Amino acid sequence: MKYLVKKIITLIMTLFLVSVLAFLAFQIIPGDVVTSILGTEATPEREEALRKELGLDLPPVVRYFSWAGNVLKGDFGNSYRFSKNMNQMMPVAELIGDKLPVTLLLAAISMVLIAVIAIPLGVFWARSKNRFLDAVLSMGTQTAMAVPSFFLGVLVTYLFGILLKWFSPGGYVSYKEDFWGCISYLLFPAISVAIPKIAMTARFLRNSMLTENGADYVRTAYSKGASERRVAYFHVLRNAMMPVVTFLGMIIAEIVAGSIVVEQVFGLPGIGKLLISSISTRDFPVVEILILYITFVVIFVYFLVDVLYRVIDPRISNK
Amino acid sequence: MIKIENLSVAFDGPEVVKNVSFTIGDGEILGVVGESGSGKSVTALTMMGLVSETARVTSGRIYYDDQLLLEAGTPRNNALYREYQGQKMSMVFQEPMTSLNPTMKVGAQVEEVLILHDKKSQDGNVAQGEEKKGSKEKAGLTEWIRERDAIKERRRQRVLEALRSVGLKDVEKLYDCYPHQLSGGMRQRVMIAIAVILHPGLIVADEPTTALDVTIQNQIIDLLRKINHEQKNSLLFITHDLNLARTLCDRILVMKDGEIVEEGNTEEIFGDPRGDYTKKLINAVPGRTGKKKSAYQKRREARKEEEGAQGKALLEVKDLSVFYRENANSLFGKTVKKCVVHHADFSVYEGEILGLVGESGCGKTSLSKAILGLNRMVEGSVTHFSNAPQMVFQDPYGSLNPAKTVGWLLQEPLRAQGMLDPSKAMTPKDREAAAYEMLRMVGLKEKYFTRRPSQLSGGQRQRISIGQALITRPGLVIADEPVSALDVTIQAQILELIRKLQDDLGTSFLFISHDINVIYQVCDRIMVMKDGKILEIGETEEIFAHPRNAYTKELLK
Amino acid sequence: MKKIGAWFRDQNAYFLVGLAMTGLAVMLGILSFFWTPYGTTAMSAAERFHGPSLRHIFGTDNFGRDIFSRVMQGIGTTVIVSSLIVLISAGAGILIGAITGYFGGLLDEVIMRVTDAINSFPSILLALVVISILGRGKQNVIFSLGIVFTPSYVRIVRSEFIRLRDADYIMRARLMGVKKLRILFVHILPNIFSVFWVSVTIGFNNAILAESGMSYLGIGVQHPEASLGNMLSDAQGYLGRAPWYALSSGLTIVWIVLGFALLSEGIRRKQEGRK
Repeated sequence: MKYLVKKIITLIMTLFLVSVLAFLAFQIIPGDVVTSILGTEATPEREEALRKELGLDLPPVVRYFSWAGNVLKGDFGNSYRFSKNMNQMMPVAELIGDKLPVTLLLAAISMVLIAVIAIPLGVFWARSKNRFLDAVLSMGTQTAMAVPSFFLGVLVTYLFGILLKWFSPGGYVSYKEDFWGCISYLLFPAISVAIPKIAMTARFLRNSMLTENGADYVRTAYSKGASERRVAYFHVLRNAMMPVVTFLGMIIAEIVAGSIVVEQVFGLPGIGKLLISSISTRDFPVVEILILYITFVVIFVYFLVDVLYRVIDPRISNK
Repeated sequence: MIKIENLSVAFDGPEVVKNVSFTIGDGEILGVVGESGSGKSVTALTMMGLVSETARVTSGRIYYDDQLLLEAGTPRNNALYREYQGQKMSMVFQEPMTSLNPTMKVGAQVEEVLILHDKKSQDGNVAQGEEKKGSKEKAGLTEWIRERDAIKERRRQRVLEALRSVGLKDVEKLYDCYPHQLSGGMRQRVMIAIAVILHPGLIVADEPTTALDVTIQNQIIDLLRKINHEQKNSLLFITHDLNLARTLCDRILVMKDGEIVEEGNTEEIFGDPRGDYTKKLINAVPGRTGKKKSAYQKRREARKEEEGAQGKALLEVKDLSVFYRENANSLFGKTVKKCVVHHADFSVYEGEILGLVGESGCGKTSLSKAILGLNRMVEGSVTHFSNAPQMVFQDPYGSLNPAKTVGWLLQEPLRAQGMLDPSKAMTPKDREAAAYEMLRMVGLKEKYFTRRPSQLSGGQRQRISIGQALITRPGLVIADEPVSALDVTIQAQILELIRKLQDDLGTSFLFISHDINVIYQVCDRIMVMKDGKILEIGETEEIFAHPRNAYTKELLK
Repeated sequence: MKKIGAWFRDQNAYFLVGLAMTGLAVMLGILSFFWTPYGTTAMSAAERFHGPSLRHIFGTDNFGRDIFSRVMQGIGTTVIVSSLIVLISAGAGILIGAITGYFGGLLDEVIMRVTDAINSFPSILLALVVISILGRGKQNVIFSLGIVFTPSYVRIVRSEFIRLRDADYIMRARLMGVKKLRILFVHILPNIFSVFWVSVTIGFNNAILAESGMSYLGIGVQHPEASLGNMLSDAQGYLGRAPWYALSSGLTIVWIVLGFALLSEGIRRKQEGRK
């Protein structure tokens, strides 16, 4: 319990720190937002008015707290770049709105693919004694790890989209219209994100199991008359999974990043495209919120993994 | 009971077990004694069917009663072995810390033996269970579940009984503990419970006490003896420690380089050893006789007659208490100061070897670190009357920088000295000469000058460590368990070297060890330490002849 | 000659294959600064979308440029950029890691918190943030990725220094009176190189993947300079018509990354064998 409180406090502190850093980072940016919105030929009066409207005339501390307070209330501010119509600014919340779920859905499908394929593959690999199979898996995973996910995306598009025509590239349907249609489309980008990570995780689990196989308690289990199968599934796997759980937690950040890049390949309306274009056009309110969002997701997942780890590893939870 | 005929085993290289034949009689305790690499463990693991798949049995047969278990040339019958493992033969390993599954409850680990051999009518309830199974449809599912729970409960009771029988207390609570919550001695008892729960005909114990403290060691030996008496099973006891084998075993095999070099009853082996190696082994064991007087002692005795003084003190420790911070498990990570050494009071005199004996965790190492100034959380005073003392550690593999050559290592103290104090700076030529001189003094040939530590044996590394400590001619060297990681014969050589260097260079040593016999062999005076307190201090002969403290008496037993 | 033969026998297959793959790529990259089969910007309307042939072994692109020449230039760019990134991040990593690891204390605590925060963050995103502040372009990619990868080296170097600062031989060096800086860089540093080389080769991979990813997204190396990432991005538009365009640039990335991965695996195995 104490541990949980401690962890939650750290979680909140980290988020606070990240938000301050994100805010500060965009304070020191060279170049003026107002000029970039209005262009260089606007009158000083017009610039002053916009500055006031955006709240840029206040001191940074005040601006941080009013911004953070608004964020907590769910008001993420307005985009500099986009507007709803001539008179109304575009709220960031609305801009991000249905884009974030696409990215998270993609990351989640990738994660499921990784867990479902990599774990059985790793166990199978560790238990197989066929040297040829071992060499094939070793080479195969080594190669798969070397393929960047955006190139995998291109390959998947070419193979499944253009040659086999299993899906039509660019033909994404929103999850609101057709949930299963959306999932089956997302499966292809998810495969592109997942393949290198599957290779990595399977290797990691295999090595972990082989290491555990040499442990003293394994010899003890055999000395009781346990079969190889029983030792593998009953003794080794649980111990070998401990570092794998941490490993899976660690690659979540990379999966989210991978998703953002792969969105570009498949033309998905996720936050990746928005983030890249906002960075290029210096639409800072949007960038700030997206960064904060992604960080929150990543840190929260870390937190979950940490808690999960304590549940499954008695050495930590019983201390 | 067990018959092994002409067993030879090889891994990738040459045979590590060569043509070994022996038998173990019913109820007999057979000791296998040998130094590391003698093939004793491989023999036992092969017999148990536990040796790794990379090992090849190149010749021989193994019988259990009249059943052929293993024969060279035919692959190991794992299914047959599984029948025997745990049920008819079981094994206790050296490392109690790692031999239990860290993520499985203790009770479940003992119970696993019952579950594995359940079908083979070991539960005693199987016949009954089968009968019930037949009438399952009539009796209904609830009845069947109740019956299954009853079997589970009976199994649990048997596990608790087994845990009790190995001298564990509070077994109900223990049942749900994880191994990391238990001490080393308790874990080893759990291992023994696993080994004996099905009353196997043969128990193999591979160095079961080596990783434990002396007093715990004695308890485990007593337990093994008691089980042997009660269950009448045979025990194969593997050890490097001749004294242990002597106290426990009926018959002893001595192994060297994969071969049995001597075999006989315990009294015969110790009374009248025939083989040269056996003699050497017995003589190398630090005993409590046959110690020669050091030059220091002779000098002191001479001096005593003249003036009755101890000589000049090199180190004076007055009312020294040592603390360390322990992280308390609280939200704000408060630390608690814990006292590990209480009011230590002693001196080390010029040219003597002062022994410090005590079990692990008694504060020996904390005391030595405080003396060296490596721990600053101390009260009281430490006064040095000579240049900076040096240290020799237990682990010969960790004491030398693996990235450097022996020559570099021996010169480094001189270089450091020169950098600190330019008046002591030496020319590279002189430094090299001094290093060669030291290499010779610690008994190594010149060719080792360019070797790296990874190319040396444990004993050679320890020699270099000692040389490195002595090259700047410090007045005092602290040696923390310097021979504990070495084989007996090497141990004897290093002890001899320390005595020789004491005589030649007049260096004082604070010699720390858990082994009272080693202490006897090498020390002029002794301090006995327990729970951070120095219980007794005095002349070696005096303490061995007339121990005053009860704990000292226990250690001397 | 004998020495070279002995050296080869001492290496494992992973190391040799990795060395050959990366060696070939690096040589082509360096060669591209002096010579390429065709001009990297030489367009030819007559030769658009030619498939691989003896004349153009990787074919030509939408402007009729020789893809192989451009791939060579791309490798050159990638090799230079990733070397600089590794140089910056590994150098800073050694310095910071050694000092914080050995001395510990408050500074260590603060730096560890910061590196932990950075490490928990997707590296490419962090680089994007830095880019968004500094603006696009090659120098900024080098600089931002250099910063972003520093913590991973700090972590490794620091944990090695922590492990070794309490090693018996370092404790004894302190007792001998060896000065602190000498302990840090003469006694400890040589012992961490084995671990460090593995992370440097992995670091090359991360740098190459991140750089090509950013160039693919259009915020890294800018046109008309060829980089493997921006070539792939161009090629994607002609996937149906000229698949060799995408394959040649994409597979080149795989080739280099796989080469470095094998190299690092080879070094790791060699060390394990030594133990």
